[in-house]
Amino acid sequence: MSSLKIQDLHVRIGEKEIIRGLTLEIPKGEVHAIMGPNGSGKSTLSKAIGGHPDYTITSGDVLLDGESILGLEPDERARKGLFLAFQYPMEIPGVSNANFLRAALNARQPEGEEIEAVDFYEHLYEEMDKLEMRREFTARAVNEGFSGGEKKRNEILQMAILKPKYAILDETDSGLDIDALKIVSAGVNAQRGPSMGALVITHYQRLLDYIVPDVVHVMVEGRIVHTGPKELALELEAKGYDFIKDTLTEPVSV
Amino acid sequence: MPTEELNDLDIDRTRGDFRYDEKHKFDAGTGLSHDTIDYIVNVKNEPDWIREWRHKALDVFLSKPMPTHWASKDLENIIFGDIRYYLSGGQKPSRSWDDVPEDMKRTFERLGIPEQERKFLAGVEAQFDSEAVYSNIKAAVGEQGVIFCGSTEGLIKHPEIFRKWFGKVIPTGDNKFSALNSAVFSGGSFIYVPPGVKVKHPLQAYFRINAENFGQFERTLIIADEGSEVMYMEGCTAPKFETATLHSAVVELVALKGAKIQYVTVQNWSANVFNLVTKRAIAHEEAEVKWIDCNIGSRLTMKYPGVVLKGRKARGEVISIALANDGQHQDTGAKMIHAADETTSNIVSKSISIGKGRSTYRGLVHVPKHLKGCKNNTECDALLINSTARTDTYPAITVRGTGNSCQHEASVSQISAEQIFYMQQRGLTEAQAMSLSVNGFVNDLVRQFPMEYSVELKRLIDLEMEGSVG
Amino acid sequence: MSTALLEEEMTDTPAASARLLSAGPAAPGQEAAWEQFTKIPMPTRTDERWRFANVKDLDLSPYTPPQVIDEATREDLLARSRGLASAAGRMVFANDQLLSREVLSESLSQLGVIWLPLEQALVEHPDLLQQYFMREEAILGGQKFAALHASQVRTGMLLFVPRGIEIDLPVEAFHWLHGANSSCFPHTLIIAEERAKVTVVDYYESADANAPGLACAVNDLWLGAGAQVTYVCAQNWSSQALAFQINATVVGRDAHARSLFAQLGARHVRSESVSHLRGAGGRSDMLAVTVADNAQEVDARTFQIHEAPNTSSDLLYKNSLDDAARTIFSGLIRVDPGAQMTDAYQKVRNLLLSDDAEANSAPGLEIEADNVRCTHGATSGQIEQEELFYLMSRGISKRAAQRLIVKGFLQEAIDRLDQPVIGARLAEMVQAKFATHR
Repeated sequence: MSSLKIQDLHVRIGEKEIIRGLTLEIPKGEVHAIMGPNGSGKSTLSKAIGGHPDYTITSGDVLLDGESILGLEPDERARKGLFLAFQYPMEIPGVSNANFLRAALNARQPEGEEIEAVDFYEHLYEEMDKLEMRREFTARAVNEGFSGGEKKRNEILQMAILKPKYAILDETDSGLDIDALKIVSAGVNAQRGPSMGALVITHYQRLLDYIVPDVVHVMVEGRIVHTGPKELALELEAKGYDFIKDTLTEPVSV
Repeated sequence: MPTEELNDLDIDRTRGDFRYDEKHKFDAGTGLSHDTIDYIVNVKNEPDWIREWRHKALDVFLSKPMPTHWASKDLENIIFGDIRYYLSGGQKPSRSWDDVPEDMKRTFERLGIPEQERKFLAGVEAQFDSEAVYSNIKAAVGEQGVIFCGSTEGLIKHPEIFRKWFGKVIPTGDNKFSALNSAVFSGGSFIYVPPGVKVKHPLQAYFRINAENFGQFERTLIIADEGSEVMYMEGCTAPKFETATLHSAVVELVALKGAKIQYVTVQNWSANVFNLVTKRAIAHEEAEVKWIDCNIGSRLTMKYPGVVLKGRKARGEVISIALANDGQHQDTGAKMIHAADETTSNIVSKSISIGKGRSTYRGLVHVPKHLKGCKNNTECDALLINSTARTDTYPAITVRGTGNSCQHEASVSQISAEQIFYMQQRGLTEAQAMSLSVNGFVNDLVRQFPMEYSVELKRLIDLEMEGSVG
Repeated sequence: MSTALLEEEMTDTPAASARLLSAGPAAPGQEAAWEQFTKIPMPTRTDERWRFANVKDLDLSPYTPPQVIDEATREDLLARSRGLASAAGRMVFANDQLLSREVLSESLSQLGVIWLPLEQALVEHPDLLQQYFMREEAILGGQKFAALHASQVRTGMLLFVPRGIEIDLPVEAFHWLHGANSSCFPHTLIIAEERAKVTVVDYYESADANAPGLACAVNDLWLGAGAQVTYVCAQNWSSQALAFQINATVVGRDAHARSLFAQLGARHVRSESVSHLRGAGGRSDMLAVTVADNAQEVDARTFQIHEAPNTSSDLLYKNSLDDAARTIFSGLIRVDPGAQMTDAYQKVRNLLLSDDAEANSAPGLEIEADNVRCTHGATSGQIEQEELFYLMSRGISKRAAQRLIVKGFLQEAIDRLDQPVIGARLAEMVQAKFATHR
């Protein structure tokens, strides 16, 4: 089964349970959105799937194309085809964007093989042009001194180069003005297709005007409480999250 | 971490960790006395003035206390009476690798020295324990009047240049270990570059300790005459022994008017070596001296390369990288003594402490009265990996008068878990992520190394980082 | 408030003719300290903690124990003890004799605040002194002088602010040094309990601006959880005085200490200030402004010790040096193992106004935890010619322009106090020093 499947997932940070029995499946080729109020556990979900050491998974499973990835290191999950676009991308002083991406690509090559520098740069420049990123970004340290918009574009660039099977975009719209939002969305849309599934996490409906999801999930207090078509996002925007909270007492699964 | 990586690592890490049986014709025995000095002088057939000089130096050494009131108490673990102060096969340094005794030749071949010589060096000197076994300078460079030989040959064959500067930059009594070196020195390089001669390719010395319980005390003196330029590079390795080994060199540089000297060190002693080195330069008018100093090996290194800026517009620079892993203390730094108007100095120091490693920066910047237009800039940055690592910074800056400016900045940072997670999420292993971060930290400095050395340096850093994760 | 209790004690004051070095302890109970003082050798230049210092300046032999204050002097000094326009309380000491203690805010005692001269506190609250009096050892090289202080201290100010009490107005103390070669031993002990808040200003003044003398002061600040203490020490001893100041600040959980040492007077002053960040979340701002001229030597040693996680310290020392003045700044940040998430900053800025001035800086770091942010910086420079020219082009004399720039330079540290009234007072004192220069 080609999908990213999350089954009855429970996640703790320290003693506090944040994700409380979350189930969700993103088939390859589809874009799903998770919306939810602040503190509903959206960012925790992406970090936990990515394998961040601060997050403890107490029960449940995450299956990538049918195979559990919970026992894997974060880099092993990444090499299986999982990609996180971070809400707050890290700055890595002294490490140039180009070197970082090459190292990440080389990590995916068979033992002893490396990608050709010429091919790499050709491909990199092509993708950068799509995201309207200047060439100088290749020589600058990863995210260091980047504006919020530049950081997010850089996340999408990495996604384009690493070609994941499943991408989780965590609040990719936060800190973006409308022009940057359009560019970033266009970058994501360009990568949509039958070979990639995506989970777009957002607090605001605005992003979903540009990255139109196939399915919308609503997350409240660590669970998916409602699932519907893309119109659900508009309804949420109009009525607020409280209407969902009020109408539901029992968690709803897909 | 996969086991094959670990194996790779072990093989590479121990590149310098091999030894051949000792066949020494001359051995001064263990311990240090005035008899030891007579033995060394007799074997080396040195003139009387140097005999006297050495005896005096021994008295100074014996009279000076260990500097443990400010330095590491680990110094107390050096047992001077257990060390062998002179070991050699008795041969003269060969001009051809074919004439170098087989085991020594194999040693240097394993370290890649003859290959590097063919590729990019203007001259090579290879020292095995107390004496050089190979010393050669490319014919074209020799024809320009450049002298490149061992210290003994220098003092015997070129006394008119040698005596003028020997011990003038670093007097015997500068510190306890400069006194020790002055008493028992053997080996090291003597270089003289005539006025206006620019030596295009680097001259290199390679220092190898093969014997156990041994002290290596090379003495290097480089004189760059007016308007000349030279780059000198040194590398060093030793096998791992159970007992402590002592390396205590003295390096004196003299850059006459308008001359440029670059001195590059990649120190990779094994973790049982006490590396206590005194390095200082005098820069005359408009001269430039640059120390590029990289310390990766040794148990305890204490080394603070300095420049005395003696002539107007002289310039001094120290670029320093230190990597302290478990069981290591890299106590390094720089000294800049401004003694003329419009002199400038620059110190950039980066240290990385891993595991239980400790790195220390000590700096001294002195701008005395009535000088004008002097500038110093110091930057020292420390990176900590693992909470058991330690870093210290102890600069001391004295400025007098209104015409000068000094600026010192230091920072301590660490590689955060979030940074590592971010890179892992892109598919890099934890070790790769760590290596990339560390190389990023030192990148701007590594670029200042000659190409061949920066590649080597990156490789060494990668190796040190591999085992340190977790 | 009566000082009867004190006057009784005053009769014990040794005759002015006796020398301090042969005086022995001030009172029974201080013998041990005296013995310690006589045992510890004088500092030498080779001691790392006295590096750069002119240790031969420290000769104590000329000085006498505190000389008796006569009635006329008392009146004169009281009149000259001009504090802030509004304060919560004010004590005035001269040669370690309490001249007056004015409670300016009725609420103080009603709130349970203990505000007493030390000798009275010793009788009424021995437990407090037992617990807090000089409990932190001097660790920056001044042990001998701390011992001297302990053997000679006769009075001083104890301020205890109980849990949750905030004193809005500053509490002040004047310490006068009077008579040629007299000595005095000012002491300030501030204990702020949980969430207590208080501001204290010490003024160190000499009756005669040029009389030789010795002042050896100790001021300790103790901050309980969430307490906020601001302490200002305005040192303006006579131009011929030898002075020591030894400070320990102990910062509890989530507490915030601010201290500022203004160094204006004295021929030679040695200032040692240690912040112990002992409770998680604690913060200490360590500030100093120095205006040094003639042959003054201002020798400041500092230590920021991060003993607990999530603590922060931020040090800013600003020195302006004229004539043949010398300054020494030697500071150390130490982050103990386990004191993760520490932020520690240390900055010293030297502004040299003369070719004979000398600034020594030794900012140090000792870090044993890896999740920390520490930086330090030291700069030494002079007034930019362009800046001076700009001001002069507006018609300001060179001298005035220079002073304006120096004041601006010092203001950064003063502003960090976040106490405009005290800041203005400090600026006035700096201005007054300029006015008497040459």
